[in-house]
Amino acid sequence: NWARTKNLWLASGSLFPLSCIHTSTSLQKIGKIGKWEKKNRIVYPPQLPGEPRRPAEIYHCRREIKYSNDKMWYLAKLIKGMSIDQALAQLEFSDKKGAKVIREVLLEAQEMAVRNHNVEFKSNLHIAESQTGRGRYVKRLRCHGKGMFGMMKINRCHYFVKLVEGPPPPPEPPKTGFDQAKEYVQQLRNRTLVHTL
Amino acid sequence: MAAAMAAGLGRRAPRLCWKAAESLLRPGAALPGVVVPVRGRRKRPPVPEWARELSPEERERRLKSAAPIFPDERIERTFFLACTAEIIDPYVPPEGDARMTSLSKDGVKQQVQKLRQTAASQLALRKIKDHIPDFSTKTFPEKAQEIFIEAHNSLANFNKQKLHSLVTERCYPDMVRGNRYKTIRWRFVESLEPPRVVHVRCESIMNRGNLYGQVTVRMHSRQILAIYDRFGRLMYGGEEIPKDVLEYVVFERYLVNPYGTWRMHGKIVPDWAPPKDPIIKTVMIPGPAPDPSEQREKVK
Repeated sequence: NWARTKNLWLASGSLFPLSCIHTSTSLQKIGKIGKWEKKNRIVYPPQLPGEPRRPAEIYHCRREIKYSNDKMWYLAKLIKGMSIDQALAQLEFSDKKGAKVIREVLLEAQEMAVRNHNVEFKSNLHIAESQTGRGRYVKRLRCHGKGMFGMMKINRCHYFVKLVEGPPPPPEPPKTGFDQAKEYVQQLRNRTLVHTL
Repeated sequence: MAAAMAAGLGRRAPRLCWKAAESLLRPGAALPGVVVPVRGRRKRPPVPEWARELSPEERERRLKSAAPIFPDERIERTFFLACTAEIIDPYVPPEGDARMTSLSKDGVKQQVQKLRQTAASQLALRKIKDHIPDFSTKTFPEKAQEIFIEAHNSLANFNKQKLHSLVTERCYPDMVRGNRYKTIRWRFVESLEPPRVVHVRCESIMNRGNLYGQVTVRMHSRQILAIYDRFGRLMYGGEEIPKDVLEYVVFERYLVNPYGTWRMHGKIVPDWAPPKDPIIKTVMIPGPAPDPSEQREKVK
């Protein structure tokens, strides 16, 4: 409010008879802040010089996307674990409607990371978590012929993404037969005999 | 209120209810009684004969008398101007202020520069002394330095209550912007030269007699600053690197208010000041977008 009075002073050359100014405040949008948005607010204590550098984590989400939760899940699992450039490339050439939305969300998150969260290189990010959630569904009438109708659901979903600084983690090597055999032998060795000497 | 209106009016109730509710939410935005065209299946009642020939004001008046809507009191908020918006007549520091040693002639001249040279400062000083008889240019700089140190300590600890009492409303956002999710460590090591008052100005805002006094204090000191980002990584400065800092800090006080206190109002950064240290991370500055009409070079 005091900023608004500055404009008044500059605009009006004459002096007001009263020395107080009346203004009104505008109500801010009342909405519950979700848990994912609050994750961007945690502050870690300063690191000691000997510690390894903590990688930056950026949480971003978009709520109430007009797309089905199940259909969005395929895209979310596609890009999980990729680097951000690879993910953007894959989504650019995907034919699904949700791909465009997720691409926008990733670009927004990248921009936020560089501007607000002290990330140095915008390509040095990878997607650690990528999830979808069910939004608020609405039931509507779907009219068929001959006066018949059915109830349809208008599906909406949320999309959540967590970007972490650093190269993407290497994929897990597939389990070989030798590993499985080793595990089996270890299980046999872990058995204990009870009620004995 | 909505129920009473619905009982009185009938079909017109929904529209005016909505309008009244809207005027509650956005005071001053929508005048009560203004008819807004609403789309929908419900048709508006035809204009009665007595209303067809009347002017819009007559129509409004009749509508108003038919459905008295009591506009709630305009939600106003009074506030108190406790500080000015800018530094009045900023002090222009002489070039090379702290560079010259006190052994050279120019250096001695600078050191010996007294307030008495500027007449405006003297006048302002007299006005301030009218309101505050205890004010003196000899004792004020130490108090000013204490306020400065306290303000920066409460900024480092994020003690907002104390910071508001030590720093004016104009200076507070400059100090606090961008620091919400960062950790700041600041320490005042020592003062290299005793602080001294270099500039005094006194001005009234809005009305004659609404006096605010501004005093510029020159401080040459050694400080340590380290800023860590959200993840605890060093962003700027260092914990063990003391820096020599020459600052011109402006303090302000609302003279007419008997409970006013001297608070930090702003800093004057001269043009010849040395550039600040770069931040630790690399920043990309996007260049001009490449023209598609330019021929691409062959990539081997």
